[in-house]
Amino acid sequence: MSVKPVVGGRPVVHFALVIAALAGLMLVAGALDAALAQGGPFGAPRAQAPAPPMGGVLGWIFAKQAEFYRQFSSLIRAAKADGSVAWGLFGLSFLYGVFHAAGPGHGKAVISSYMVANEETWVRGVVLSFASALLQALVAVVLVGIAAALLNATAATMKRAVDLIEILSYSLIILIGVRLLWVKGRVFLTTLRALHRPAAVGAAVTPAYSLHGHGHHDHQHDHAHDHALAHAHDHGHAHADHDHDHHQHCDGHAHDHAHHHHDHDDHASAWGHAHAPEPEELAGPGGWKRGLSAIVAVGLRPCSGAILVLVFALAQGLFWTGVVSTFIMGLGTAITVAAIATIAVFAKSWAKRFADTRSGYGMLVMRGIEAGAALVIIGFGVLLLTGYMVSERMVGL
Amino acid sequence: MIYRFCLSVLAVLVGAAITGGAASAHPHVWITVKSELVYAPDGSVTGVRHAWTFDDMFSVFALQGLDSKKKGEYTREELAPLADVNVTSLKEYDFFTYAKANGGKLEFNDPQAGYYLDYNTKESVLTLFFTLPLKAPVKAKDLSLEVYDREYFVDFSFAEKDPVKLVGAPAQCKLSVARPQEMSAALSQQLSQLGPNQRDPSLTVGAEFANKILVKCP
Repeated sequence: MSVKPVVGGRPVVHFALVIAALAGLMLVAGALDAALAQGGPFGAPRAQAPAPPMGGVLGWIFAKQAEFYRQFSSLIRAAKADGSVAWGLFGLSFLYGVFHAAGPGHGKAVISSYMVANEETWVRGVVLSFASALLQALVAVVLVGIAAALLNATAATMKRAVDLIEILSYSLIILIGVRLLWVKGRVFLTTLRALHRPAAVGAAVTPAYSLHGHGHHDHQHDHAHDHALAHAHDHGHAHADHDHDHHQHCDGHAHDHAHHHHDHDDHASAWGHAHAPEPEELAGPGGWKRGLSAIVAVGLRPCSGAILVLVFALAQGLFWTGVVSTFIMGLGTAITVAAIATIAVFAKSWAKRFADTRSGYGMLVMRGIEAGAALVIIGFGVLLLTGYMVSERMVGL
Repeated sequence: MIYRFCLSVLAVLVGAAITGGAASAHPHVWITVKSELVYAPDGSVTGVRHAWTFDDMFSVFALQGLDSKKKGEYTREELAPLADVNVTSLKEYDFFTYAKANGGKLEFNDPQAGYYLDYNTKESVLTLFFTLPLKAPVKAKDLSLEVYDREYFVDFSFAEKDPVKLVGAPAQCKLSVARPQEMSAALSQQLSQLGPNQRDPSLTVGAEFANKILVKCP
């Protein structure tokens, strides 16, 4: 396919369109966090507050979780007298978790952005969501277990502990974002430069890449399934066989890129410039280790509601009932976050399919989306750390 | 194009900042409010006396780790450090108290010494008593006082019985209280269809959902 049409004005419009789609995508996750808390109680717009209107569904979720939460104290009290009430408490905890995660403070936005920035599968998204939610429950249990149950610390001390954890968690989020931006940003710039190169350098480069294009053909027959995406990336600047290879990366993820890395280095040297890290460097075999950082960053901050429930249960002499309840809450939370992360993954593969039809610029757009998602993670981290965006207020009254 | 891209990203971040700015969770604390408006002999309002009763879960949480001589009972003195914490952290939120007189906003000073917490053993709930003095006493024909948390972390509602009292007010002053009501499904539906700045006169939602005290004096 020729390079010419892509350099024209129209692709820029498409590019802008896809970026707009990205903006929408990121905001769905982010604004969900925010919108819930913005309106007045029960979905009513509130005097003086610059509240956006609350949708019927959001308002309902909002009212529900408050309603569930209010039942905790009476159920825990009742469980003290009648052990079988605990089952009701566990059921309530599950429902509360599901609804509560739709509200702010459960890393939906960060996890979703992380999913978009990386070449992750929805399965990884689900695992990431469950791991971070369960870690969150664990932190709440350990915190209350040590601080309140063992040391008999005051609520104010626990608040300070949560504040510290918060700072750590948000700093980690920023770090993850910066790291992703470093990787994705460079890939984006390389793709951008490579895209302009044929037009600028012209004939001098042409022979090299036609040769390279041929070599590629063989290569593809051998490994098409393994590293569809890695190819896609390179073809972004190879410009050879566009229609051909774009079919392959619809699956949206790459495995085993490790073994074909050297192949790409070859391509890169053919181009005479350094090769940026593979876009899927954060997925693949080593991805779990990096996924762990996201799990920790998101799961570190315990949910205020869980801490209150645990302390209350402890005061009633039902600490272990509170612990089970907290983990069940985490399970409910995980289901909601996993659903949102999955939507983010599919939204990205949709964007990818859209981008693929735009030849060279399509790749650039995808890399741009990934770099943009990394920026969004940094943005969330900074807003959270500076207290400009409150994920969840710890009780300090 | 990089410019365009950066611009888009910036837009996303700004968008997130705006929508996220006041974000918080659903309420984790419920407070039942009783307030008194205090008047000077000359008929001007000098301040607001609040008595806020916390829900039992939060009360138990707040009492965690606090020593008391008698188990399950707390004296004012034993609760004094907690009252300090409360009042100090409430400063950050302007005590959730918003007052207007004759259409203009009123400013409050920090509470005077003498605030305290009481523990109700029977209900196992804490009540915080404190007085917010106005920076400048004001004579108001129309006075409104609202108590709410715009982040909705704390759910405020006026007490069912005697939510508000006027102390030393001129005899002709009339008091009315608008309290939030539980929303019916139908009302919720209607509300969700309203635009942000739209008012449906038949709903009178603003008045119904704010904790608002209105005092009219001649």
